[in-house]
Amino acid sequence: MKIITFILAIILPLAANSLPSEKRKNGPLVQGALSPVQVSLQESSAVFYNNETSKAFLYGTVVSDDGLIMTKASEIEEVESYYVRVGTKKFRDPIVVSRNDVWDVMMIKIEAEGLKPVDFSQTKDLPHGTWVVSNGATERRFRRPRAGIISANKREIPGGSPAVLGVGLKEEDGDLFIGNITEDSGAAKAGLKKGDKILKVDGSNIKDRDGLIAHLKEKSPGDKIKLTLTRGDEELTLEVELMARHKLYGEGKTRNDQLSGGEAQQSARRSGFPMVLQHETMLNRNTVGGPVFTLDNQFVGMNIAAVNRVEAFAIPGKELSEIVLELKKSP
Amino acid sequence: MMAYSLAFGALVYADRPDFNDKEAPQTLGDFRQIQSALQSHLERTRSATVCLQMGGGSGSAVIISKDGLVLTAAHVTGKIDEEIKVIMEDGREFSGRSLGLNSETDSAMLQIEGAGPFPFVEVDLKDTTKLGDWVFSLGHSGGFDKARGVNVRVGRLVREAETTVQSDCMLIGGDSGGPLFNMEGELIAIHSRVGASREESMHVPIREFQAHWDELKAGKFIGDGGFAQKSKPGTGFLGVATEESDEGGLKVTEIWEDGVADKVGLKVGDLIVEIAGEKATKELMTNKLAELGAGDKLKLKWTSGGESKEETVKLGERP
Repeated sequence: MKIITFILAIILPLAANSLPSEKRKNGPLVQGALSPVQVSLQESSAVFYNNETSKAFLYGTVVSDDGLIMTKASEIEEVESYYVRVGTKKFRDPIVVSRNDVWDVMMIKIEAEGLKPVDFSQTKDLPHGTWVVSNGATERRFRRPRAGIISANKREIPGGSPAVLGVGLKEEDGDLFIGNITEDSGAAKAGLKKGDKILKVDGSNIKDRDGLIAHLKEKSPGDKIKLTLTRGDEELTLEVELMARHKLYGEGKTRNDQLSGGEAQQSARRSGFPMVLQHETMLNRNTVGGPVFTLDNQFVGMNIAAVNRVEAFAIPGKELSEIVLELKKSP
Repeated sequence: MMAYSLAFGALVYADRPDFNDKEAPQTLGDFRQIQSALQSHLERTRSATVCLQMGGGSGSAVIISKDGLVLTAAHVTGKIDEEIKVIMEDGREFSGRSLGLNSETDSAMLQIEGAGPFPFVEVDLKDTTKLGDWVFSLGHSGGFDKARGVNVRVGRLVREAETTVQSDCMLIGGDSGGPLFNMEGELIAIHSRVGASREESMHVPIREFQAHWDELKAGKFIGDGGFAQKSKPGTGFLGVATEESDEGGLKVTEIWEDGVADKVGLKVGDLIVEIAGEKATKELMTNKLAELGAGDKLKLKWTSGGESKEETVKLGERP
């Protein structure tokens, strides 16, 4: 008896010093037990494939039986043309219906019928520690589940991506001048020049930096503003399209961002959401957009950002259902 | 005796959640058991998980006694006898003082200075947690955020070594010094560092704290490892020139503007009577400054215009 114990004591620590990767949290043995939830992912997820590379680059959430899909706007517009898979079926020529930049979502329509949309009526608040299941990797015919837990308070994420002109501003002798112009910005495209003197913005006299910034605060990326300027002796009015700051300048990089694998892993737009659920499921910028379910197949929300190595944000189901209603109404 | 230890062993075994003895969850029921075990401990463990702030830095830590003894990582406190702000999840703030640290294993203690009782967690002193067991981590990831609160993540113990355990609970900056719990809600380790992959998190096991408990509690700086550096002897600077006085003590003859001595109010003409509790002499001053480094503390007692003053100063950097 003593000898056996002794041998076990010596061998066990050596043999069992490290847990094989298949038994780890994201390993196949652990995730394999999630197959009852896989059904929901399979039916109500859309997968977006780049037409050029045939690679899956984003997920979507099916919100109507006739083919309305919600996804992450700032991510999908990075790809010129794409096709969609729902379940095992392939859908060509998806159409953009509308978008909401506050939430960074886009509504897309495919020609389909009889789809199984997510059920908004089931969503409820989940306490910390509750398992939730998202799309991990995908195969052509099979969505792979990946689990994590609700890891922090439901809340607003401030910051966001304000609308910017893409210029520096200079105040001189009570006048406001255009400074350096960022390449590829709305200002550059509209033909603004360094040294232009601003007379009016959208028809009102604005002659200081604070006034212009306050005016921009009321605007969203994609909006246009009219600038009345003097350039030399000439007076001219130019229309400038505003851009989201993150598109022009990127989001600031913190040390934790550096720890998080950078651009390949993190969503470019990862702040400025009116309300999110935070979970710890290991996602990356290409695996957001899809639905999140509980172990009971209840719809929880839609993944909207892979924030860093430990945080994923989802738009809660209730808020998403309101956005969907609003986008369906918009022309 | 034999019967007792068998019974005791059986008792320990009975407390172990079933899911820990499966190689992986077999059904959703297993996942639900992990969830309910974890959730049953969250309120207490969250309330005892604190954010530490010092200088510009921020880390995490956990309270293990009702009078405010705290365990954290050596690379978080960085120094012994250092004033550190302690923030509870609900936003209440306390001042704390770092006790000892082990620079080789990354373990450290801290004492909250304030009236308890504080919320605290139980510690797995018997080292019962095994490889493969389900665990959860808490921490003030990326610094204190009241709206967000403490972050919780789940995983398994995936590797064991003498002075480090590894889990696949993911960590990020700010989690350092935070607690890792088993599914009985007992503290098993303190977050130390992360590996190259997202799923490699290293923690200092409680047995490492136990091995040096008294020294840590007594405020000792242990080892010369990479997790904390002792100040370099001879780099400390007081910013004062003195000469031995006939009446005993050291007479201040010069004060560096904005130096440490200037800041505590020493003036030319003052008489330093004690250094570190001993009678002040030129030799003692020279020896103390040769021994101490920038950031180290030195207790001074002096008289200024007939008034007696005392102050513990933190030495500046020798220019």
